Amino acid sequence: MTLTLIEGALLVFVLGCALGAALLKDVLASVMAFAAYSLGVSIIWVILEAPDVGLTEAAVGAGIMTILFLLALANTVRPQEDQILERVRFRTVAFVGAFVLVMLATVPSLPAIGADGAANPVVSGEVTQYYLANAYEQTEVHNAVTAVLAAYRGFDTLGEAVVVFSAGVAALTVLRQEVFA
Amino acid sequence: MLGLLDSHYNYVAVMLLLGIGLYMLVESRNLVKKVIGMNVFQTGIFLFFITLAFRAGGNPPIIEDGGGPYVSPLPHVLILTAIVVGVSLTAVALALLIRIYTEYGTLDEDKLKQLYYD
Repeated sequence: MTLTLIEGALLVFVLGCALGAALLKDVLASVMAFAAYSLGVSIIWVILEAPDVGLTEAAVGAGIMTILFLLALANTVRPQEDQILERVRFRTVAFVGAFVLVMLATVPSLPAIGADGAANPVVSGEVTQYYLANAYEQTEVHNAVTAVLAAYRGFDTLGEAVVVFSAGVAALTVLRQEVFA
Repeated sequence: MLGLLDSHYNYVAVMLLLGIGLYMLVESRNLVKKVIGMNVFQTGIFLFFITLAFRAGGNPPIIEDGGGPYVSPLPHVLILTAIVVGVSLTAVALALLIRIYTEYGTLDEDKLKQLYYD
């Protein structure tokens, strides 16, 4: 698959928002750039045919996450800055650039976007094909993502609920409160 | 080089997002921005997984008679779980930040270091 205009525009938007979050000095501006970033990412999920992930990202990533950051800012401090942008330190840029170069060196070995058959074992592998072929007969759920999440991997989802519960308890413990006020 | 960008554009974006997230984690002095950087890093990894699950001309994995071909549902499940765990992680990190602020009165990394060693 080749790069279409809408995908290119979305990737530029997302990367621009991430850069904005990194370089804007004001914390509130950084949080807002991150919210826009999450929105762009959730549209990318829809384009990549992952509507469940897109919905979750839009509700949780762009919604709840932004509220959490704003609550944290309301309870702490938003330092008054005189400059708009952060000062870029070249030592860190060199370090991160080396990391990105090493990671980019792995890109040619990855399957092309949209590949199937032997070129992309994630899509054509035995496990994926098993779930696609049997999920509806075995669980009577049309959505294969829901079938795996709630039926085949129900205990994993229970573990996920335990993680969320523990996070709530941990947040209350750290804040020395008995209830969320 | 341009051909590679044309067929692997999402992976290039993944690596750049990982770089931006890492830069924020290392370089930001404000702790809230460090948490944002951690989230950017995470989303980069999510993009990697969802791109691997994609196939050209595939439909969302909602099984119907004669509906195929479908994209792989398994990375989607994994990333759904990862998004929720990421939010829990962010919530705990921000609670810790609020506590740090009530104890020390600042979220600036350098000032915190100074206060801690004094």
